[in-house]
Amino acid sequence: MTDQADQSRRNFLYVAAGGMGAVAAGATIVPFIGSMMPAADTLAAAKTEFDVATVEPGQLVVIQWQGKPVFVVHRTEELLKQVDGHDEMLKDPNSEAIEAVSAEWMTPENRKYRAIKPEYLIVVASCTHLRWIPLFKQTAGRKGWGDSVPEDWPGGWHCPCHGSLYDISARVINGSPAPHNLHLMPYKYMTDTKVVIG
Amino acid sequence: MLEKMMKTRLFAWIDERTGAEAIIKSQLTEYQVPKNLNYMWNFGSLALLVLTLQILTGIFLAMYYKPSAALTYGGYTVAFDSVERIMRDVNFGWLIRYMHAVGASAFFVVVYMHIARGMYYGSYKGPRELLWIIGVVILLIMQGAAFFGYLLPWGQMSFWGATVITNLFGALPVLGEYLQQLLRGGFAVGDPTLNRFFSLHYLFPLLLAAIVGGHIHALHVVHSNNPEGIDVHEGQGTIPFHPYYTIKDAFGVAVFLLFYCYVVFFNPQMGGYFIEVDNYVPANNLQTPAHIAPVWYLTPWYTILRSFESKLLGVLAMGASLAILFLLPFLDRSKVRSSRYRPVYRQMVILFFITVIVLGYCGHSAPTPTLKLVGQIATTYYFAFFLLLPFLPKFEKTKNVPDHI
Repeated sequence: MTDQADQSRRNFLYVAAGGMGAVAAGATIVPFIGSMMPAADTLAAAKTEFDVATVEPGQLVVIQWQGKPVFVVHRTEELLKQVDGHDEMLKDPNSEAIEAVSAEWMTPENRKYRAIKPEYLIVVASCTHLRWIPLFKQTAGRKGWGDSVPEDWPGGWHCPCHGSLYDISARVINGSPAPHNLHLMPYKYMTDTKVVIG
Repeated sequence: MLEKMMKTRLFAWIDERTGAEAIIKSQLTEYQVPKNLNYMWNFGSLALLVLTLQILTGIFLAMYYKPSAALTYGGYTVAFDSVERIMRDVNFGWLIRYMHAVGASAFFVVVYMHIARGMYYGSYKGPRELLWIIGVVILLIMQGAAFFGYLLPWGQMSFWGATVITNLFGALPVLGEYLQQLLRGGFAVGDPTLNRFFSLHYLFPLLLAAIVGGHIHALHVVHSNNPEGIDVHEGQGTIPFHPYYTIKDAFGVAVFLLFYCYVVFFNPQMGGYFIEVDNYVPANNLQTPAHIAPVWYLTPWYTILRSFESKLLGVLAMGASLAILFLLPFLDRSKVRSSRYRPVYRQMVILFFITVIVLGYCGHSAPTPTLKLVGQIATTYYFAFFLLLPFLPKFEKTKNVPDHI
């Protein structure tokens, strides 16, 4: 057979047919891989609406956003005061590590509050170390918390998993295994109290 | 191309550890196939292609499908809703589901063509008896897989189809009721049935894949039959499988995909033949649909079932109509294989194909007295075909068979 065949034509046909086959196989993979991406109804649930007025002063509420827990804390005057006076204990007191999500509304004045409205702190409730949900230990000092927190505890969160500590603005305290402050997520106020997260 | 690849050091490394070269030679490049195979011999490779497509699409569907009959807020069921979610919300879900549903019908189209070819050219006759028997096992497992899969959308046809078929087992004496409950996992088709059918629907294609391997192995021991139905020997009228039949099979695949893609993209329900319209009505155990028929590929056997007045006889006849396929190689005692040289058998087997189509038509239509009679006549011939075969050599004058291709 080979002696009669024009090899260069035959090779061209091989490459042309094989190339088309490869393109078709590649195109076939698209819907299969595509089907594993989040479905339309999953994406539609990517935003969460929440009315912060339902949170009592001093209360912490855990809500869901994209299947993840989110803290909403109604900080009283007293809790807001606990934000000051321990900057030297913090890894990132000005929340500069991940700027993008909060760039729109972060002003020099509310940096320490890490919230659009200082009285309502909204953060992702996963410890930045290994995604545990930290415990809310809001009052300063060891009273009520025992030696799970340091003596100069400014009030905030304690992660029971590997002992990370965060202050009342969810900023990580030196000596914690967690690398970052609790993450902020994009959110905005639609009305005075209605928040859309995501 | 293959020769170049086989000369690389990587291939040498693999060959040393697997004996790949010997396998490729004995199964592909030096595997001898008669040179005169016609396009009817393409359906085997097409069946393998469709099986692969079914397994692939099935795996991806199983990522979203939920086998539960629990009610949802919408008033439907988890299973029904999950299928609708695949159709509406999952990326390309509609495409993958239609590929799977159309693929089920396409699988039977190519396999029925494959079987018809085997019957017409006498491929089931010695030395290929076991090859044929493995093939019949594949057919039965396919029908089982299709039946299990049909319950999964949990629509009206799913539910009542499964109710009817599981009921058939109830007709058997003594063990009937026990078998029926064993299949259903309850007193009626319900949530446990759905769960186990999903499990079995996932298992059966894997069984198929293994048995198809055995089918191909059995084929490669006895080699392909050919339209002349004569024995061919290496070097006389044979050519290697690769490249000649790989190319021919690839061409067949291209033509097949043309039809398959047309149906998948433009006509996936195929006028209610591939996906029955009533199955978009959620299952309701308190109301039967106005008319129930199995999907087209099971209707011939359904007609045989309906042709008997006694429930037990109908069930036994349906079982026998499939079981008798196993006996075909032993019932046919003619020395000549191909219909080309068997004038009477040729008429008989063509009439048999027409009969199966008639049976299929009857089974798909609502029962009327006329259709019932037609179905009964067709059923009679279905069995007569097989039972006449042993006596055929007594009066059939076969034509002279050529001694080479």
